Amino acid sequence: MQSFFQTLISGLSFGAVYALIALGFSLVYRTMGLVNFAHGAVLMIGAYVASTFYLSARLPFAVAVPAAMVVTGAVGLVIERILRPLENKDFDLMLIGTIGAGTVLQAVAIVIWSSAGRGVSSPVRTAPFDVGGVRVQGYSVVVVVVTAVAMAVLALFMQRTKQGAAMQAVAMDHEAATAVGIHVGRSNAIAFAIGAALAALAGALVAPLLYVTPTMGDSLGIQGFAAAILGGFGSIPGAIVGGLGIGVIGAFAAQSFQGYSDLVTFVVFTVLVMIRPTGIFGERTVNRA
Amino acid sequence: MSLLSSLWSPWRARAGGLAVLAVLAWLLPYQLNVYWISVADTAILYALLAVGMGLVMGVAGQVNLAQVAFFGVGAYATAILTTHNGYGFWTAAVLAMVAAVVAGVVVGIPSLRVQSHYLGIVTLGLAVAFTDWITNAPITGGDSGISGIPAPPLLGINLTSQYLYYYLELIVLAAGLAFGLFVVHTPLGRRMRAMRDDPLAASAAGAEIRRLRLIAFVLASLYGGAAGVLYAGQISYIAPESFSIADMFFLLAMVIIGGRRSLAGCVIGAVGLTIAQQELINLSAYAQLGYGLVVVAVVVFAPAGLVGIPRRAAAWYRRRRRITGRAAALEPFQPLPPAPGGAGAGGTLLEVSHLVRRFRGVVALDDVSLAVRDGEILGIVGPNGSGKTTLFNVISGLYRPTAGTVSLRGRAISGAPAHRVSQLGIARTFQHLRLFSNLTVSDNLLVSMDRTRTWWNWRYLCWAPGVWRHDRALRRRAAGLLASFGLAQLAGALPGALPYGIQRRIELARAMASSPRLLLLDEPAAGLNGEERAQLAAMVRSIRDSGVTVVLIEHNMGLVMSLCERIIVLDSGRVIAEGAPAQVARDPAVLEAYLGKSALGESALPAPQASDMTAPQTVLRAPEATEASS
Repeated sequence: MQSFFQTLISGLSFGAVYALIALGFSLVYRTMGLVNFAHGAVLMIGAYVASTFYLSARLPFAVAVPAAMVVTGAVGLVIERILRPLENKDFDLMLIGTIGAGTVLQAVAIVIWSSAGRGVSSPVRTAPFDVGGVRVQGYSVVVVVVTAVAMAVLALFMQRTKQGAAMQAVAMDHEAATAVGIHVGRSNAIAFAIGAALAALAGALVAPLLYVTPTMGDSLGIQGFAAAILGGFGSIPGAIVGGLGIGVIGAFAAQSFQGYSDLVTFVVFTVLVMIRPTGIFGERTVNRA
Repeated sequence: MSLLSSLWSPWRARAGGLAVLAVLAWLLPYQLNVYWISVADTAILYALLAVGMGLVMGVAGQVNLAQVAFFGVGAYATAILTTHNGYGFWTAAVLAMVAAVVAGVVVGIPSLRVQSHYLGIVTLGLAVAFTDWITNAPITGGDSGISGIPAPPLLGINLTSQYLYYYLELIVLAAGLAFGLFVVHTPLGRRMRAMRDDPLAASAAGAEIRRLRLIAFVLASLYGGAAGVLYAGQISYIAPESFSIADMFFLLAMVIIGGRRSLAGCVIGAVGLTIAQQELINLSAYAQLGYGLVVVAVVVFAPAGLVGIPRRAAAWYRRRRRITGRAAALEPFQPLPPAPGGAGAGGTLLEVSHLVRRFRGVVALDDVSLAVRDGEILGIVGPNGSGKTTLFNVISGLYRPTAGTVSLRGRAISGAPAHRVSQLGIARTFQHLRLFSNLTVSDNLLVSMDRTRTWWNWRYLCWAPGVWRHDRALRRRAAGLLASFGLAQLAGALPGALPYGIQRRIELARAMASSPRLLLLDEPAAGLNGEERAQLAAMVRSIRDSGVTVVLIEHNMGLVMSLCERIIVLDSGRVIAEGAPAQVARDPAVLEAYLGKSALGESALPAPQASDMTAPQTVLRAPEATEASS
């Protein structure tokens, strides 16, 4: 039982990161109809920027992370402008177009930071504390709390602000939104920038848990995308549940099957998608004759 | 001069171009050093993989990000069976192909439930699962891979030579490309392209969507498996890094940049990117930057890939120079040959009894019973939302009924899938046109004309001449039908480029191509002008006279009154009236449904209006105006 909770805790902290990634995917997909496979690369850029602020500029972690979010959000604005012709297009084109954009970001990262990775020390140096026999790393708690706060802020933004309402309107029907005077282009740019900032937050939070390399976003991006699909693509609560789900499945798979954790995770994922194609909080699509 | 012009037919130009390419490919090894010949070998393998991708993604429209796993299954199965189990190379190769096909079915199964980005992440996930397995399993040698795979023995030829191996791969690629092109341009590929453009309309035209999706994945896995077998035999050592997700994306870039809808484009993309990668391999980061930018630029500026550029350039040139070709025109409809024994015996053809269809709480069809008589033209009218299209959708198999039955000549068909209903002789058109937008007019008809079941396609593997003959026969019949509907000059056009009225006619011709016994027309006159409506009426009469029973939903009361012999009125999912047009138009229940109760109350108004009420066309036209605007 103890080891069960131990595995669960480690699954939840990675799950929180996946949830942030899934949230970025879902936000961008919902508002712009863009399935963004460059999201993992944006995360990697965010992780590098944060680690540069934290390690090289010696800013406190709590300052470095928001700064990285702002910088990456600005980078997101540029990427959005380049990818704009792909919005609401054929999926094959979006797929390879955004993968191409991700390749560009990786190349830029190699040019700036070189292809050698860097380790980021944990900003929380307290010893792990003990909760009912389960050892909990202080940093895991930070990750989960920061994720929860970020999601609450995003939910408030979407529901309580005019811009948030405008973005929801664009998500539902971008032509009708234009007709009532919403600047769809600006709304999309803001959505993409927020998605990029969330990716940067995920990257910064995961940096001390992993190793920062130009290709770190590849596997995280795939896991995050799977999380978004599992929860229900385009849904905010779905992103949270899907992210935690993939994290927990991965943790238990790693514990029980060691090296085969990806194999088990994705086979389980495939079966779940087959059972419930629209995810837990899924988009309903109706095909009418 | 005459010799030149006779040589310059498109077919001969293409055949000549192919011959030149074949000779060049044959002579290529004489120009290459050892390093570049291995690059050429790699390029051929990528081309083989890309053709498989082109078939599943470009032709069948199924997102497949597991092609690299099929490649891996082929390679690893060959390696394990030769080194571990001691089989001979060719035995192992055959078994490896079987393994690849099994993998194709496994990866294809999710396509029965999910599509688009969902299918993308599921297939990608399965590819990740495969790479995870080969990097961990003891039998695959883990990270260090498997070495010592024997070269294939072949008639005493030394295939350890990269030069001679090139020819083996070249022959396999040529055969694979030829087979792929054969599939694309014959019934199986046509159905797959139709399915890509509009799965719903394809199933209503008789295509079995689920099996076609699986066939598409199996085709892709055949190419992947063949490339894997050749790869194992070529380099005699395999390791997980050759089957990574990065390789998958590289392959995807080849297909998209070359042109996913053209198999030749896939080959061009594969060869081009392999060479570019070798040229730029030492420039690392900047080469990667350039590669990424090129991918984005191609996707944004040339979505059809490199093969689409010449056509776009030609179109641009013609616009610039204001060159307008001889415009192809619609010709008059030629009446179809009348049925020998007159139009039908008058018995019951289709019987709908106590049909109910609910959508969650909404009852779209509420205990509908009606009979369609053989050889009649039956009109179904009713206000918007009265359940007319739902009735068609249930009859044609797109929806399952909640309760009740539909039977065709006494045989129950309710609950049968759409392709089965189509095969039993019911064809339909759609309220909002559903033509296959990337298929020519002629191909649109051919899809529906092909009445074979899916298992018929085993002939592709064993008896290609039979497929070819079948296709020729279909084309001959299609030419006749195109001529009847006045579409002969437009046979090669894409429907989207044609005026709306012509598109309506194409959809009618496509429905007739399946030689139905019962034709369901859903608002065939919507959007047509007066002249086109008159043509439509003539066509529908001729279709009936040729022995096909017609049921049409229509809001244009003038057309319904003049064309239909019998009318059934639906309101809120119930049949409220049935009978001859004039009789139905006077029915108080019908007037109430269309005009509301208050309108009936006002019918006690001055005489002129009351007499208007008896003229069916005037009365029933009133709601038409409001419905057209909604």
